[in-house]
Amino acid sequence: MTETAEQQANPLADGLSFRRTPDPCALVIFGASGDLTHKKLMPALYSLAFRQLLPARFAIVGVARTEGDDDSWRDDMKQAVQKYARDEFRQDVWDELASAMHYVSTDFADAGGEAALEKLVAREEQEHTLGGNRVYYLAVPPPAFPTIVEALGKQRSATGWTRLIVEKPFGHDLESAKKLNKLLWRHFDESEIFRIDHYLGKETVQNMLALRFANGIFEPIWNRQFIDHVQITVAESIGIEGRAGYYEQAGAIRDIFQNHLLQMLALTAMEPPIDFKADSVHNEKVKVLKALHTPGPKSVVRGQYGRGFVEGEEVVGYREEQGVASDSMTETFVAAKLFVDNWRWADTPFYVRMGKRLARRETTIAIQFKRAPHPPFEETASEGLRPNVLLVHVQPDEGVSLAIGAKVPGQGMTIRTVHMDFLYGGAFRTGMPEAYERLILDTMLGDGTLFTRSDEVEEQWLLVDAIVAAWQRDRPAFPNYAAGTWGPPSSEELLQRDGRSWRRH
Amino acid sequence: MAETLTSWTGEDVHLADVDRAIAELRAATASEGGQPSLRTSVMTHMAWVPEGWEEAARAALSGMAERHPSRTILLYPAPNAGSNGIDAAVWLECFAVPDVDREICSEVIELHLRGVRAKAPASIVESLLISDLPVFLRWRGEPPWGAQELEQLVGVTDRLIVDSTEWDDLPHPYRNLEGLFDRAAVSDIAWARTSRWRALLASLWPDVADVRVVRVKGTHAQALLIAGWLRSRLGRPDIELEHVDARRLEGIDLDGEPAPFPPGDPPIPSDVLSDELDTFTRNPIYEAAVRGALVEP
Repeated sequence: MTETAEQQANPLADGLSFRRTPDPCALVIFGASGDLTHKKLMPALYSLAFRQLLPARFAIVGVARTEGDDDSWRDDMKQAVQKYARDEFRQDVWDELASAMHYVSTDFADAGGEAALEKLVAREEQEHTLGGNRVYYLAVPPPAFPTIVEALGKQRSATGWTRLIVEKPFGHDLESAKKLNKLLWRHFDESEIFRIDHYLGKETVQNMLALRFANGIFEPIWNRQFIDHVQITVAESIGIEGRAGYYEQAGAIRDIFQNHLLQMLALTAMEPPIDFKADSVHNEKVKVLKALHTPGPKSVVRGQYGRGFVEGEEVVGYREEQGVASDSMTETFVAAKLFVDNWRWADTPFYVRMGKRLARRETTIAIQFKRAPHPPFEETASEGLRPNVLLVHVQPDEGVSLAIGAKVPGQGMTIRTVHMDFLYGGAFRTGMPEAYERLILDTMLGDGTLFTRSDEVEEQWLLVDAIVAAWQRDRPAFPNYAAGTWGPPSSEELLQRDGRSWRRH
Repeated sequence: MAETLTSWTGEDVHLADVDRAIAELRAATASEGGQPSLRTSVMTHMAWVPEGWEEAARAALSGMAERHPSRTILLYPAPNAGSNGIDAAVWLECFAVPDVDREICSEVIELHLRGVRAKAPASIVESLLISDLPVFLRWRGEPPWGAQELEQLVGVTDRLIVDSTEWDDLPHPYRNLEGLFDRAAVSDIAWARTSRWRALLASLWPDVADVRVVRVKGTHAQALLIAGWLRSRLGRPDIELEHVDARRLEGIDLDGEPAPFPPGDPPIPSDVLSDELDTFTRNPIYEAAVRGALVEP
């Protein structure tokens, strides 16, 4: 809760829970006719409106090259909300939201484009007393960033605050990320830049912080003394869904590894921050990212899916996907062994894997503890016993489970592994907000805790560049795994070499 | 295949019978060879439901288990039943969870306490409380101040939830309620229902600081609590209250000037109760408002 000075002095405000309500502002979405706006941004805005979390005075301005006007964009967005929003469609909620929506059809490369936008935003600001507060959302491909950022920099509002949300990918290597940071800093302060990684907006990812730092039982054993290794899996059963143009350039390492996966690893391995303010959390995450290394090329495995079966249906291989080169060497799978070189984690491997067209959709963080040093049971009694695993389910089945050994009822002493489950949906049945709802609202409130800072992004690219550089020296035989499996055999071998195996699913 | 149990009832039962029934019901939720449904509890939720309050209690509880998975124990006292004993009904309320093949189940236990069994309820519920989880006690109607059953149940409760709108002869019962503040955190549904209006009045600061007469159209409890809140927060015991009776809080005038209507719709009963179940600590603002309600300017 943010309290103004007036509220602090107001004795009647004590004990009342004021909802975090953002200042009046205009939200300008670049890429307003795109997939992200349809599937995520507008449904998120609708859900915020549904819960009366948007500012009382508010405007949304959509910007895209697609021909259209206010009415056609509203119709288009209404359909998107009806299709993708998590809440029931209520005409009154929509009508109020739609009345704040406007559309500018323009190409920012044209000189007149920025003037048309500025005129519309200024009009809305005056009409609704928005105070010059603006959020710019760059939901456009990276090549469009420089033109837009330069134009926005020149047209900064003289009053109010300005915030800029930048979607991933943030660059395609360290050099381009640094260049992009420099471009942004020419016009915006770091505190005005919100680099989005939507995984950080997920409740279960944030729950990792609650799990670690709100429970006295975990932190004392959250280290190399008690933890054997950590496994992080980001598995998708879908393919590239028509995004060949992007994916051919990015591959799994830039699409998932560089951002979502390394951020989850950082949250898992970081030291306790002194508070939950943005810089405190960023400072701890960046320390982990700086300490991160992979022991060498043999510790990274890449793969590309061939034909196979997913949910009983035959699916094509990556090279047969529309828009993909028939000899493409883009990886759709990466597995790696990483180390965090610090006092807490020295010599504790973090095995990570991510990929498309895997056996099922699952994002998990598994903390595998060391075995009990001397179980006093006969060997046969505990042969069904596996080490304790604390499993954080990010999606689906959001929750936490702990695998423990328990005695099988009966005369003898036979021990088996059983799971104690905590399901988010079971304990808190209020419906979890979509990541974009949280992140858009946080931006309006100026809270950058769940975004990535420039130094984090650069550290992430440093590691990725090192991995990709090694890849230039060989040419694996792609495809090397069938769609619907858990990746190439070399992924299994990566752990087998250490006497371990990927978690059973 | 054995028939799946969905509920269990028994007359003149022992608590061990209730415990056994719960275990059997849970086991029965498992498909053959599969795992039983998940039990997830965040609290034990007790409700003391004297005769005449049964329907209101059930209405407020509907949907509660879905939002606050808990073991719910409904106590129906019938001290004049003519016989002594406990009759029980037990069932599971199960809810599907998206993407998960197992359901989440909460237990509901209804105990009809006949004759002298209604006099020592703590000894009955104690063995049914879930260890280490907070215990919430919802008391329908005006509690029998000083009576054994109230004293006992407050003794095993972390939070007592009342609705002083249900009480007669206000503000005098607030004096008795005040006596419980040091023993259990207290929530009052009547107070919770004023929150939108209190937020609105707070937004009128600093103009509201000099108010002399507050006129409240609502229940008597709401009027007293609003006046008590203003007196205590502003340090002004001289603020006078004028009350216009209405079934719900419909308007507040400050020195003859109507305050604007707060935005949004008033919450439904189960939402109000649900919000109170999210609160775990004492509320000093409410406690001061109760004391302020007892002030005679």
